[in-house]
Amino acid sequence: MEGRTGDDASLVDRLRRGDPRAFEDLVIAYQHRVFGVALRMLGNRAEAEELAQEVFLRVHRAIGEFRGEAKLSTWLYAIASRLCLNRLASGERRVARHGDEALTRLASREVSPAEEAERSELETALHRAIAELGEERRIVVVLRDLEGLSYEEIAEALELELGTVRSRLHRARMDLREKLERFLP
Amino acid sequence: MTCHDAREQFSALIDDALDAPERAELDAHLAACADCRRELQRFRDTVALVRAAAPVRAPAGFVDCVLEAARPVPWPQRLLRGLFVPWPVKLPMEAAAVVLVAVGVALVYRGSPELQQPARPEPAAPVVTQAPSVAPPEAPAPARENDAPRILYGARGDEKAREQDPPREAEKAKAAPRAQERVEGFAKTPEPGALADKKRAEAPVVGKLEAPASRAERQRAAKDDVRPGTTQQTELRADSLKAQRPASAPPSATSAFAPPDVSGQLAVSDRELALRSLAELVARLGAAQTRRFDTSDGPIIEIAVPRQVYAELNRGLAQLGRWQPSKEPSSLPATIRVVVRITS
Repeated sequence: MEGRTGDDASLVDRLRRGDPRAFEDLVIAYQHRVFGVALRMLGNRAEAEELAQEVFLRVHRAIGEFRGEAKLSTWLYAIASRLCLNRLASGERRVARHGDEALTRLASREVSPAEEAERSELETALHRAIAELGEERRIVVVLRDLEGLSYEEIAEALELELGTVRSRLHRARMDLREKLERFLP
Repeated sequence: MTCHDAREQFSALIDDALDAPERAELDAHLAACADCRRELQRFRDTVALVRAAAPVRAPAGFVDCVLEAARPVPWPQRLLRGLFVPWPVKLPMEAAAVVLVAVGVALVYRGSPELQQPARPEPAAPVVTQAPSVAPPEAPAPARENDAPRILYGARGDEKAREQDPPREAEKAKAAPRAQERVEGFAKTPEPGALADKKRAEAPVVGKLEAPASRAERQRAAKDDVRPGTTQQTELRADSLKAQRPASAPPSATSAFAPPDVSGQLAVSDRELALRSLAELVARLGAAQTRRFDTSDGPIIEIAVPRQVYAELNRGLAQLGRWQPSKEPSSLPATIRVVVRITS
């Protein structure tokens, strides 16, 4: 995680005081991360956008309930994760969970066409492999390897024991190792 | 430590999440196991591959969307809306709509003789002692029965027109006073239904010619009308008719009344002058004044005018004052019956 603790504390204070700019700053600061979690979990950009928006609206409504014991980012990830898992479990999905073409359109660096093709193939395989993980393993690997949360933060966000986080993460990585075998050096 | 046990620790090893004894034991196994070292490397490569995944960025405009979604409905307003919107807005609107519909139905019903005809009892002959003040036309025009309600002459016409031509409602709303007069005008104007009613009521004293025609008219009306009515309102209207009927009006001895083809209001500054001018105009055009009906609001003249000079009559009326004829029927008969209500 970025060293935003100080910034987050200030942001939370401003949010609680009703600073009209504070919410905008919050959205600007966390939009990509929240959207990233939603997209990795749901696999569809429109659905991810909708869910990410819902995350921020919930934060906007419930900022008064945020006690500040956890990091703001952890709180946001907790809300985003819960909403994603709930949606995946609810059967309210509008699209199939896997194989969404949006996964192939993730932002990429400026690279040569050959590299881009190779990168695109790798990205496609990588995101497909992540998407094919079970939801409980997927959220852990997304939060750890893609979003950079610590085991403790993941445990807090998902309300899991540390050992459960560690176990699920290991299983997820083992699955990915098998799925990405051909891309390994 | 077995290879399986060692490999179960790889994830924690990479994240530096092993405590010292675990780490020492794992290191010892790896030092002695080439397969596990190779497997650990592939595990590291896998995690590195995943962590190198391209970052995801929210779509352009996402912030604005969120702010827009959050801004217009802040929670106090949402709370207020949720609590009170049904009360101050929805319920009054619904109540107003119900009242409006009720008033509209009452007005239409009150002003629509055909609504009340099915319930009308056979009029008792002694009740009516006076003849109608206006002479019925030469002959009823059954073929024009469907046109009659379209003629803006009475509440019956209004009601039918309302059903058949809704846009005219607005126009009529503007002419509310006149409309009110028409609603009440069973006594003031020779409204078709009212006159037909009157004829029925007076059949025994008007003359033998009316009775069959009146019955035929009633049968037609009953056939056309499927809506219920009340006797009370009909009698009230009949009373009203009697009250406003001039005592000196001669009894009618013509056939049953048929609605006029065109009716309208002529607003003039001098009624007497207008009456004289109208008589001259009628004479000049070769038309004939067939009836006259004096009311407190002014005289009502019925004119039978040949179709060829109808346009000229209209122009002449427009010169006499502010002539506001009703909408003409699509086809005019050879002799057009025009009813002019002269007001000041």
